[in-house]
Amino acid sequence: MSWAIFIASMPELLVAALGTLKMTALAFIFAAILGLLLAILRMSGGVAGRLAFTYIELVRGTPALTLLFLIYFGLVPLGIVLQAFPAAVVALGLNGAAYLAEVYRAGIQAVDAGQREAAQMIGLRRRQVMRHVILPQSLPAVLPPMGNYLVSLLKDTSIASLISAPELMLRSRDLAGTYYLPMEYYLLAGAMYLVMAWPMMQGVRKLERYFARGRLEGGRA
Amino acid sequence: MNAWLTVWGLLPVLLIGAITTVQVTAGGFVVAVLIGLGCAIMQNFRSRLLRAVIAVYVDVFRAVPVLTQLFIIYFGLTEIGIRLDPVPSAIVGFGINGGAYLTEVFRAGIESVHQGQLEAAQMLGMTRLRAMRIIILPQAMRVVLPPLGNFAIGLLKDTALASAVAAPELMFRARNLVDRTFLSTQIYAVTAVIYLAMSLPLGHLTRRAEARVARGRR
Repeated sequence: MSWAIFIASMPELLVAALGTLKMTALAFIFAAILGLLLAILRMSGGVAGRLAFTYIELVRGTPALTLLFLIYFGLVPLGIVLQAFPAAVVALGLNGAAYLAEVYRAGIQAVDAGQREAAQMIGLRRRQVMRHVILPQSLPAVLPPMGNYLVSLLKDTSIASLISAPELMLRSRDLAGTYYLPMEYYLLAGAMYLVMAWPMMQGVRKLERYFARGRLEGGRA
Repeated sequence: MNAWLTVWGLLPVLLIGAITTVQVTAGGFVVAVLIGLGCAIMQNFRSRLLRAVIAVYVDVFRAVPVLTQLFIIYFGLTEIGIRLDPVPSAIVGFGINGGAYLTEVFRAGIESVHQGQLEAAQMLGMTRLRAMRIIILPQAMRVVLPPLGNFAIGLLKDTALASAVAAPELMFRARNLVDRTFLSTQIYAVTAVIYLAMSLPLGHLTRRAEARVARGRR
């Protein structure tokens, strides 16, 4: 193995890693917003609630890769042609929304029912109750799993390489094939994912500890 | 409408793939449980080096995409003369990756059992390992079972990635059929349904097992 090859391909890999981060960020925003909508719909009951429930169950029971292929290849015969990168963002976002909807729901249900009742008593509207009373208090239950989701999303973007979306894994596969150094390049890719995921994992750990402490203090008061 | 009829005719091919999916899932699950359980038990040993090695294993393998790990095992190892077939390399890859997750799961389970249980067992003259096996682990199952079930469902879906190393599982068969027939909409939709038909019962089973274990507590 030759170090010169690695150093020469580093700029390419770093650009690809930026693509990974960009895809992660966009899919995360997509999933976070759609997930909240799904959670609120699901808890509102009625037909909309049942539809949201069905969506969540269907998506959570299917591999992200199948969803990705369905969106990238499966929509083409219907006349919808997406480029690889947006298709990956949409697929990962749709997949993550189903997961985050459950996270939000658990968080919202963790807030004591008395809070909602009290807020309604003082004359807040439904939407105000959600925004000013329920959602802020659900954060301790929501943020740590959201952080965990972000870490797994970062890793899941690697599947976008299978539809040739420009990100780290695709570039590594190209380089591994070009120089026939699979071991070296895949280890290098792994190390780069590690460098990106590690700080996030530490952040989640800190978040968990922070909220655990808050809970204890709340209990003592 | 004709296209759906064609896919109906191709269904047996997909179902054969689904059997391989189940095999990869089961194999990966067993390897992951063995590694996870072994590491969680070894974390209680006195050796500080051993504990550090396990901690690094857990963190590193959870921070790297499983697809990357599969590629290292399937393509990378050939470079140093180790050539694994697709299915075994998928089982090894998912097993080692899952082992890192399950180490944490089993550790949390073992820690959830009151310290006095171990002390009492040792007072009765049991060795640590024996106490672990017949006193601690059965009680830890209550905490372990829900995440273990979720892991199994996640693993079932993750095995779709084995298609990237040419393991002839469901997703691989689906991709091949699409290449031959161009019926991407229908074939991937049917594939999604087959995954659902496997993951929904597994989720149901998990919830029932959880309810059963929770009932035992009372």
